[in-house]
Amino acid sequence: MVQFLIKRFIGLIFVVVGVTFITFILGYFAPGDPIRDLLGTHYNLQTYLALKHAYGLDLPWYTQYLRFLGNLFRFQFGYSFQYQNRSVASILAEGVPVSAELAFWALIIQVGVGVPLGIVSALRANTWIDTVNMGVMLVFFALPVFVLAVFVQVFIVWIDQHTGASWPVSQWGNAWQYTPTDISYKLAPILVFAAGGAAFFARLTRASMLEVLRQDYVRTARAKGLTERAVIYRHALRNGLIPLLTVVGLALGTLVTGAFFIENVFNIPGIGYETIISIGTRDYPVIQATVVLLAVGVVVGNLLADIFYSLADPRIKIQ
Amino acid sequence: MDTKDKNPELSSPGVMFPDSSITPLEVDELMRPIDGVMRGIPLAEPGVEPDIEKAPLRKKSQTPLQESLRRLGRDKRAMASVGLIIFFILLAIVGPPIYQHIGGLYQSPINGPVGPSVYHSPFHQELTNQDLSFSSMYWLGTDDLGRDLLARLMQGILISLTVALLVEIVDVGLGVLVGVLAGYYGGWIDQVLARVTDIIFAFPGLLFAIMLTGIFGTEADVVFAPIPLIGANGDARLILVSLALALTVWPLMARFVRGQTLSLKEQQFVEAARTSGSSNAKIIFRHIVPNVFSIVIVASTLNISNTIIGEAGLSLLGLGVQTPGSSIGLMIAQGENNITGFPWEVLLPTIVLTIIVLSFSFLGDGLNDAFNPRSKD
Repeated sequence: MVQFLIKRFIGLIFVVVGVTFITFILGYFAPGDPIRDLLGTHYNLQTYLALKHAYGLDLPWYTQYLRFLGNLFRFQFGYSFQYQNRSVASILAEGVPVSAELAFWALIIQVGVGVPLGIVSALRANTWIDTVNMGVMLVFFALPVFVLAVFVQVFIVWIDQHTGASWPVSQWGNAWQYTPTDISYKLAPILVFAAGGAAFFARLTRASMLEVLRQDYVRTARAKGLTERAVIYRHALRNGLIPLLTVVGLALGTLVTGAFFIENVFNIPGIGYETIISIGTRDYPVIQATVVLLAVGVVVGNLLADIFYSLADPRIKIQ
Repeated sequence: MDTKDKNPELSSPGVMFPDSSITPLEVDELMRPIDGVMRGIPLAEPGVEPDIEKAPLRKKSQTPLQESLRRLGRDKRAMASVGLIIFFILLAIVGPPIYQHIGGLYQSPINGPVGPSVYHSPFHQELTNQDLSFSSMYWLGTDDLGRDLLARLMQGILISLTVALLVEIVDVGLGVLVGVLAGYYGGWIDQVLARVTDIIFAFPGLLFAIMLTGIFGTEADVVFAPIPLIGANGDARLILVSLALALTVWPLMARFVRGQTLSLKEQQFVEAARTSGSSNAKIIFRHIVPNVFSIVIVASTLNISNTIIGEAGLSLLGLGVQTPGSSIGLMIAQGENNITGFPWEVLLPTIVLTIIVLSFSFLGDGLNDAFNPRSKD
């Protein structure tokens, strides 16, 4: 186990270095001179050089990269090119709670709705319940989040126009607060965001449960006269849900990229939204910081999922 | 990392797994019904009596490819998808020239008399005809700048399909090349591939594409502008978009191909070829490459819907095709601004995107079932 952890940790470091290096090098070779953009048309050379030095852009690339890496480990992301007196960290501090809230509720609903739906489908395999359920889930699974978002928004507009309600089509409300107004903002984006992942979990749970229900120990449990209830809840379910741990990492990945689209379609001020604005203004430090943050988050999530997986199922050979 | 290689079950031909250590279940086969019927053996056509008299006359048994195609032909969902895909391809290619010849002269208050080749162009703004509904002049209405929605839609579909084609060329080319070499020779190519895929899997693909197109987007507009056909009308960025999307998918293809190659090179027909003195190059081109064909077809078809989603998504975020060009994602983004007044403008591209994406997914699933019947279990 210790050996496995060490090996995975070395792998993790390798991936993190790779991800940060790609992010850094893209920013380094990014076209344009951010300092010049910052200063406008009238400036003198001294100010230019001073500012370049302040941002550390006059150093050779490997020193810049090491500084970039070192700062990352201390959660210092440098200063925004766009807002001279704002650190990237303070920009992130505004977006992260919103994005985290969105992802948190979406993940809860994904698991909370997707897993039971998958179980129902597996227990009623090949009945009309299963067919309808999995048909709907297939569509949710195949469609990108922004397509669902558009359909829901059009639906909201239709409701508003036909009932006189004022259900908001976009925006977010206050982060982590749940007054009726806040909920009216948050309901649609969270549900849309959760739909794809719920379908993913439902399909996976169904497959995993069907696999388990075919196992000998389930037949043994039935043969020794246990009630169907005990067979399913005590024997099948517990084992059937273990493989789901491994896909939490994948789910995290979709949540991260999905955030860009959902936040932009619904105008939610999270980090995905901030990143797109930063791209528009060529604010590379902000882009680098969000990308590294999100990518490392996914990597660590994957690692944790792998570790939990091997802990939960001792049959999994650790190499 | 490479634990799956040692698992004979997973590296057997026909089972498609990204060689990753985190995916014990295959997502694509989650929808299969479970019943008692034997798998992998094509059942006789219902209603067709096996004709004993004629049976010996059949000179040749079917090749695996013919058998797969026959299985595919029986898959109604996949065949419907094929029909829809052909329809959209035709719509994108021959639709615009036909549409631009339909309709009479229009006395524009701003532009004077204009023919259908002008007002049915995806880029022409007829500012007095904003947000129109369906009419004989504008079959699917106009957007908020008075541009013909059908014309823009056809152009958008063309863009989607072009990007899908470009990405798949790179994906299949690089994926097969690196995958076969890594699987056949092992060694440093294999090591590098394993490390690259580790990073790519860790890095959410779209995130990388967003970053790449975001940082180099405006530069790409300038650099690729001189290229004929693609360079004009704000489409220059497509090359960057395709590149960004292709870069994130080829390692996965390479892994599929590598896994298949690993198991193929241990098979007896390859050993036989080697014993009879075939060179490595001959073995690769005559025996390995044709046998990875089915995996490549299935994986690339399934990947097309992801690519189309990716392109639409990037355009939606303003990182893909630029105005005045048209793309489904761009149409969605522009329709979004008009959603309260004219929801049709955002619904139309969204519905079309839905149909295209589902068609390619269903076709990919159908191909997977047809080529790898055992994966149904």
